[in-house]
Amino acid sequence: MNKNSELTKGVITSNDLYDTKEETYNNKDVNYWRGFRELYNDPEFRKEVESEFDDDAGKPFDTSKLSAISRRKFLALLSASAAVAAAGCSNYRDKGEIVPFNQKPENLVEGNPNYFASTFQIGGEEIGVLVKSREGRPIKVNGNPEHPVSKGKANLAAQATVLALYDPDRIREPKASSDKNSFSTIQWNDADAKIIETLRAATTAGKEISIFTSSVISPTQRKLFDDFIQQFPTTKIYPFEQVNNSVKNSAWNKIYGQNIAPAVKWDEAKVIVALECDFLGLEDGKTEAMRLFAKNRDLINNPDNYSRLYSIEGSTSLTGLNSDYRLRLRTDAIEELILALVNEFGVKRGGSALSLESGIVSKVSSFNINAVAEKYGLDKEVIGHLVKDLDANRGTSIFVAGASLPESTQISTYLLNEILGNTKLYSFDFKQDLTPLSTTAELADLSGKMKGGQVGVFINFDSNPVFDLPRNLGMAEAIMNVETVISFTEIDNETSIKSNYVLPCNNPLESWGDYNSRISYFGLQQPLIAPLFNTRQKEAVMLNWMRGGNNFNESIYHQYLKDNWQQNLYPILNASASFNDFWFDALHDGFVLLPSQTQESLQFNQSAVIQAQPIKPSGGKVVLLTRNYTLGDGKYSNNGWLQELPHPVSKIVWDNYAAISLATAKANGLDSNDLVNVSIGDRTVTLPVFVQPSMADDVIAIELGCGRSSGGKVSEGTGFDVVPLIGNDGISPWVYNNASISKATGTYELVSTQEHYPIDSPKFKDIQFKRRIIQQGTYKQFKSNPKDIVDRVEVEGIDLREFPSINGEPIKYTGVKWAMAIDLNKCTGCGECIMSCNVENNIPVVGKDQVANKRAMQWIRLDRYYFGTPEDARANFQPMLCQHCDFAPCENVCPVVATTHSEDGLNGMTYNRCVGTRYCANNCPYKVRRFNYFNFRHEFKDYHYHNDSMQLAMNPEVTVRSRGVMEKCTFCVQRVMKARQDAISANRELKGTDVITACQEACPANAITFGDMNDKSDPIQAYRNSDIAFYSLEEVKVRPNVTYISQIFNIEEEIPKAGHHND
Amino acid sequence: MNKFLLDYNLKVRLPIIIFVVLAVFAITYYSSFAERNGIGYSPDQPIAYSHELHAGQMQIDCQYCHTNVEKSAFANVPSTDVCMNCHNFARTDRPEIQKLTQYYKEGKPIPWKRIHRLPEFVYFSHSVHVNKGIDCVNCHGDIARMEKVGQVSSFTMAACLDCHRNPEKRIQDFELIKANIKKGPEYCSACHR
Repeated sequence: MNKNSELTKGVITSNDLYDTKEETYNNKDVNYWRGFRELYNDPEFRKEVESEFDDDAGKPFDTSKLSAISRRKFLALLSASAAVAAAGCSNYRDKGEIVPFNQKPENLVEGNPNYFASTFQIGGEEIGVLVKSREGRPIKVNGNPEHPVSKGKANLAAQATVLALYDPDRIREPKASSDKNSFSTIQWNDADAKIIETLRAATTAGKEISIFTSSVISPTQRKLFDDFIQQFPTTKIYPFEQVNNSVKNSAWNKIYGQNIAPAVKWDEAKVIVALECDFLGLEDGKTEAMRLFAKNRDLINNPDNYSRLYSIEGSTSLTGLNSDYRLRLRTDAIEELILALVNEFGVKRGGSALSLESGIVSKVSSFNINAVAEKYGLDKEVIGHLVKDLDANRGTSIFVAGASLPESTQISTYLLNEILGNTKLYSFDFKQDLTPLSTTAELADLSGKMKGGQVGVFINFDSNPVFDLPRNLGMAEAIMNVETVISFTEIDNETSIKSNYVLPCNNPLESWGDYNSRISYFGLQQPLIAPLFNTRQKEAVMLNWMRGGNNFNESIYHQYLKDNWQQNLYPILNASASFNDFWFDALHDGFVLLPSQTQESLQFNQSAVIQAQPIKPSGGKVVLLTRNYTLGDGKYSNNGWLQELPHPVSKIVWDNYAAISLATAKANGLDSNDLVNVSIGDRTVTLPVFVQPSMADDVIAIELGCGRSSGGKVSEGTGFDVVPLIGNDGISPWVYNNASISKATGTYELVSTQEHYPIDSPKFKDIQFKRRIIQQGTYKQFKSNPKDIVDRVEVEGIDLREFPSINGEPIKYTGVKWAMAIDLNKCTGCGECIMSCNVENNIPVVGKDQVANKRAMQWIRLDRYYFGTPEDARANFQPMLCQHCDFAPCENVCPVVATTHSEDGLNGMTYNRCVGTRYCANNCPYKVRRFNYFNFRHEFKDYHYHNDSMQLAMNPEVTVRSRGVMEKCTFCVQRVMKARQDAISANRELKGTDVITACQEACPANAITFGDMNDKSDPIQAYRNSDIAFYSLEEVKVRPNVTYISQIFNIEEEIPKAGHHND
Repeated sequence: MNKFLLDYNLKVRLPIIIFVVLAVFAITYYSSFAERNGIGYSPDQPIAYSHELHAGQMQIDCQYCHTNVEKSAFANVPSTDVCMNCHNFARTDRPEIQKLTQYYKEGKPIPWKRIHRLPEFVYFSHSVHVNKGIDCVNCHGDIARMEKVGQVSSFTMAACLDCHRNPEKRIQDFELIKANIKKGPEYCSACHR
């Protein structure tokens, strides 16, 4: 190859990449960090790089799973059934029936969707949603665009509710068991009658009726509980969330005397310092935080304000990887740095907004920034920038402590914000839970009373105490000592299988409800569909018990809710409309705004700071337990969409793991996939280890919520239960600094959607820049010379549009031409787009084994590239989807013309024409095509997702693909066609803004823009014409139609630039 | 077998047999083409509803019953309550109307036999075509004269493309709607997705 020719300049050839020369393999580099790939001599690794495709990619199938029927027998059966079919065939021309409604519901147009506003409770949060319904079936959940908090964006669990609704594992009939072991079906009426009897008996005997529930944020639910207590006075409510804000709130309470810690006005902060705070990933209010944070990361519409995000953390969080500067610091040492900053800004430098009492001054006097930096090996330059930025941005910077940090760290953080005058960046809209969460003491008391037989009836109110509660409370044994245990649940769980009555409850899409977790509004929930199975809303069942048990009907809770609003909410609003009109307006909107309340002024109580004992780092390892990124506390673990969504940082699916740093791994002789024992005191958990770049040394980060033992068929055999690690000896309920880690026998295969290559090996280092997959720069460069950031590949004299298309004549693209722009500065890599795409486009769940074979089907691949050193890696996130190239390499290799270009610039995929040669996928430079190696609905867990109820979950506008068919992102062609149809109906021209793709709809940061590149007034023009816009892999010259905006870090130093590959 | 007979078999009989077989196949193939495409399919309906009476003699507009045809991809078959708008009072003595009333009162849907059907991987939109002024009769034939509805034209991809390529030849009264119509799209994703 002529390396000097214009066309190949700057192009890496496969020879460069997959160099097989001996010396390269023998050139052992001490820094690389990924086990079997550490050894370039490893024959397996060599084979892999030489053969380009993994062996598994062509793996046919597991022969052990084949049917036992022999070929002859199969043929015999086949001919017999054909004969029977032929004999039974009546009329080959018959085309079935059309069965219209008897009485058509109002506002329903067959073929057009209806939208209904509702609200879901996800953990302790409420999410305002807009549900799309087709012919009465909810098929997609989006955020409610008019909702004051959601602003059109839901979250992962809310989006996945559609699958939860149609989940084949849902319990379909109530069941009962006298021994809490073997169950038999029972009629609702019988169950109700017996339960009422036991409730009355418990009341008479003075025994407690315990109701164990998740956060109570519904006013009407709260009223229901109050009324229930009236009727059965021995009732006690135990609200519980496994990971919650209680520590944060109690710290705030000690300082300011208010019950609930505020949120942050992310859009007003110029400098954000996140302390073990994954506000873009795991913290409550993340969707709102992402939207507000992205406002100041928008170089296209707001180029003059670019916030700077510092992240100080032990784990590698999504926020950490999105930060401009990041400090690796073990979690229990964060407080030392904060106190040193308090000393710096509160004592040493002038200008403190709070005059410190002498107690605080003497408390912090021993902490010094340089000493702390020295002690923990922190980058002095970064500390220097931090101090400078804080000094320059007093009042517009903000420190945010993660909810898991101990109380004293929280208090110090609030103190530092007070000193820097940052308190006006607090946003006071959160409201305290209507029934406060149970304290540890209350839960211990509950467990004691259960064991002692003082609890007569235990009602598990759609929660899961046996799995969720710290195991040292002994809930599993305690529950056996309770006379009557009643479980409300959608899917069997660890608690329900130890109950006397299992009462199947409605999905949120079948339920009524109201929520009030914010001061500014009330959210309203309405059912979209009548209960699919013989289930009832849990609140309605309780109401029925209170009313004697004989008058249940579908609408009793609806009526109760409405009455509550009429009596308690409607009067305070001074609405001019009648209650009926007000009610239907509220149902239509999904929320009701409340009159604004004045916020009491903040009074800082300095003595709380003096009393707080600072955390002392120990010699042990730190264990940091977080909620699961997708599954929360494990409630959603039977949801295949959520299980298969790649973890945004590690890209691992279907499992949790202990994430440790490279140095910690080396020190303990560990490698990814090794099983390890993580011990805290006498509590030990065995799980696989994953060597995660950028982790602080001696920190072990583990996600909760996995390893359910009885949580439905999908969750079977996924992940590891780490709740046993929770105890009372932590510095907070989720952080322990007295842990140890040791190698256990065996390994466990963790499966991820992205190859883990050694990031500092010469082969793969900065590959995203060498290949110009991603371009990046700094804000400094952007301000001084933005044109310099993107390394462009330009070929003079060739207009590729002149190349012939597959249809012969080149397409002229005279009308609308669709294009997408993705702003990598706003994209945090959260994965909401993947979920939305899954739901919209009927993408199947394939299961862990098939992901391991590289057969994941998600159309959007959220690529995460590291750069820098494994110890302190930075990351680029890039949603990679079909680029709809003008000169698409897939099109001209298809032997059956199944993938073709349209006049509006879409690269179409005609499934009924595809014969599955996979040439297109091989020829795609972006590797965005997905092949149906199986009919995955059959293949996954033995026809699990081929159940009747699952048919209802499909989007009727998109073909459900079968085996042997290629598929890929279509730019939501069904939405394009719908917009075209609507434009024709309204007799107007189709505009670019008429189409909102599913990924764009869900993106919380609004990083995706879709529109018409031929229309000069379309908002997408600003992106396409930007100086920092680039096409991924520009060098292959396929004219992609997805524009990316270069990633701009707000840092002072230089960072690697695309196109440079001298090494 | 003597040489002559072998010769005769190979040179005369075999070609004749092959010719006859091919000819029979070809004639059957082409003569049954229309039927295989569903043309002429006119099943008995659960209620002997007459388009000839309603749309023809009484000149009720198609959209009085097929209300969605301008709004949605589907031209709906009307729900029973639409029939009852008139038949609460009109002709309640007729046996077919009594059948209809019974369906309505029992709250049962009427299982009409389906006549026109496209494969499931085809996404056809009535709304787009009707809003462009293309009359129903272009595809469905002169329904207003059908006592019992049957399929009159082919619903194959060739038929769709034929009209998309040569609308002036295929569409009745093309001159009246010419201003509205561009050539229909021919790219795959217009119908397949």
